[in-house]
Amino acid sequence: MDAVLAFLTVFTQPELLLLVGLGTFAGVYVGAIPGLSVTMAVSILISFTFSWDVYPAISLMIGIYMGGVYGGSRTAILLNIPGAPSAIATALDGYPLAKRGEAGTAIGVTTVMSFIGGFIGIGVLAVAAPFVSDFALKFQPRDYMLLAVLGILLVGSLSSGSLIKGIFAGALGIAIGAVGRDPLTFTERFTFDLPLMQGGISFIAVMIGMFGVSEALMQLHHVNKDAVRQKISRIVPSLSTVKKHLPLSLQTSTIGVVIGALPGTGGDIAALMAYDHAKRVTKNPERPFGDGAMEGLVAPETANNSAVGGAFIPMMTLGIPGDAVTAIMIGALFIHGLNPGPMLMVDQPDMFWFIVGALVMANVFMLIFGLTGIKLFTKIVEMPRAVLIPLIMLLSIVGAYAVNNSLSDVYWMLGFGFFGYFMRHYGYPLGPVILGVILSRLLDDNWRRAIISEREDLGRFFGGIFSSPLSTVLLIAVILIFVSQTPLWTRAKAHILKPRNQGVQG
Amino acid sequence: MKIETEHHDGTSDATPGGYEGQRRPGELIFGAVMFLGSLFLVFSAWGIENTFGPNGLSSPRAIPLATTIVMAIAAGVILFKDARLPRVTGETVMKDILPVNVIILAVMLVAYGVALKPIGFLPTSAVFLIIAIKLLARRGWGWTLLVSLGSLILIWIVFRIVFTVLIPAGIVPEAEVIQMFRSLFQGAP
Repeated sequence: MDAVLAFLTVFTQPELLLLVGLGTFAGVYVGAIPGLSVTMAVSILISFTFSWDVYPAISLMIGIYMGGVYGGSRTAILLNIPGAPSAIATALDGYPLAKRGEAGTAIGVTTVMSFIGGFIGIGVLAVAAPFVSDFALKFQPRDYMLLAVLGILLVGSLSSGSLIKGIFAGALGIAIGAVGRDPLTFTERFTFDLPLMQGGISFIAVMIGMFGVSEALMQLHHVNKDAVRQKISRIVPSLSTVKKHLPLSLQTSTIGVVIGALPGTGGDIAALMAYDHAKRVTKNPERPFGDGAMEGLVAPETANNSAVGGAFIPMMTLGIPGDAVTAIMIGALFIHGLNPGPMLMVDQPDMFWFIVGALVMANVFMLIFGLTGIKLFTKIVEMPRAVLIPLIMLLSIVGAYAVNNSLSDVYWMLGFGFFGYFMRHYGYPLGPVILGVILSRLLDDNWRRAIISEREDLGRFFGGIFSSPLSTVLLIAVILIFVSQTPLWTRAKAHILKPRNQGVQG
Repeated sequence: MKIETEHHDGTSDATPGGYEGQRRPGELIFGAVMFLGSLFLVFSAWGIENTFGPNGLSSPRAIPLATTIVMAIAAGVILFKDARLPRVTGETVMKDILPVNVIILAVMLVAYGVALKPIGFLPTSAVFLIIAIKLLARRGWGWTLLVSLGSLILIWIVFRIVFTVLIPAGIVPEAEVIQMFRSLFQGAP
């Protein structure tokens, strides 16, 4: 009964409902406007909402998250510029559709499919999370440690970049998180005897720098690209279109939830994998993929929205973020004095059910805003980058300053912004850095707990791992990720997959 | 799985920037700096002393040392791999990595950070926005002033009054102005 009441919190309090709606509305635009991303918006928002109560702050962020993941599709379809990373695959078939004058249909299908995907993700979250958290109470410190490592590694291995760069980025994040005084022994780490470093580096400064300033600097390369106007016709798709793609949408939603729930990997990776899946299973698309296939829209859009619900599963049950945005939300919960993990579900189940309720509401708002207001939308999206970029920079600086009212945070933020800019240029993923910073403490604490309970004996530590099925599976997963990147594996995979692929892709 | 999109600009972790099988200008230098920086951090991590006991596996040194060693090895491998790759043809540092615009904006950002506290949010931001928007949009002064000051006022209202964020007031008597407006709207007591 309590759970139902908590679930309904957002529906009964007009203020929260308004904030979710406002967040979703803003999210659609944040997602749609190239150069503004959800990670950027949420990391800047943390600094502005930290004085609020936790419910309103979370309501706003959830709205932005849900709306933003969807919003990216709009500009991907209309301009061939994915407004958000999760819409990269959407552009592949969405833009060809728009060029044929079917932008309205494309947007309509995308909206409805995002809605379906979103609900499947939330449903899985509501059903699975309580079980996972019960199970998580049995987790040993070493399991948490292995999960953290797994999360950081997964981002690198599932993206199309190189794993070794992902590993570097993740380790760097952990090192950044270790700066300052060690909470257990008060020993100084990486402080170089500077008083400035003793309190550690504010993770919000790192986030705003990496996702705000570095993105804005990156966008300077595209400042003169003009927006292309498209004519938009009827948006609301026919029931038969939705029905026809329902089986595929269920499959790709599943992919989305699973990828979302894996620690570290979020909507952007889920969308690309779902697109790939649709390409393999669709035998006779009406039009070839890349040329305006409806399936090419359905797959990534269901997957990226269902990944939202998925991403909350490890975040709420284990305290391990499912993707970059949930990593930032964990930071927000920390600031509000909450500690995401299995105990949160036990101590404050209300918080969980409130989040589920807010997600449901955000999903409904997304459908409403998605199918209406297209005229206003085309106007706002034409906002020139020459104005947008300086504004993002301004907000980043004010945001970094506002958290602690300290200028040193601003300098850290700028430093990481410039650093992130080069990392982006040279193909280092930024997600693992944020994951590393957020998970640094968890990794360190749990390693020390685990090794102390084994009397500092590595042999006993590994003995412990192999005596527990869960730890063994996690360790094997970590090892598999490494093996999967070696030339040996690639050759073996090519050997096994060769005969099948030739038939389908040809 | 390999999906080739044209968006190799590092906007996403699913498709980070850079090129596979080719080296961008400056990539080798960046890699070398990362490698040397990692080595320095390994050295620094080694210097972490446990005040309460031996520097064993559970000491505050353990995880920092392990991660920095991982960083150093990874950076070393990246550097070694990059060194053997051919350079991307047709790209230069000045054109594709650090164009003049980026350098100017970066310098302006630092200047903004320095000036924020002594001079205050409103004047610093106004100057920053006007110069940046003029530089990037290359439109007339009227448009530039209207857009930059208009959005600044909007941001100020949203953050100072709605979110009640503390922003350095500097030389502008913000509190007095807000108070003046409050008393104006509340009318006589």
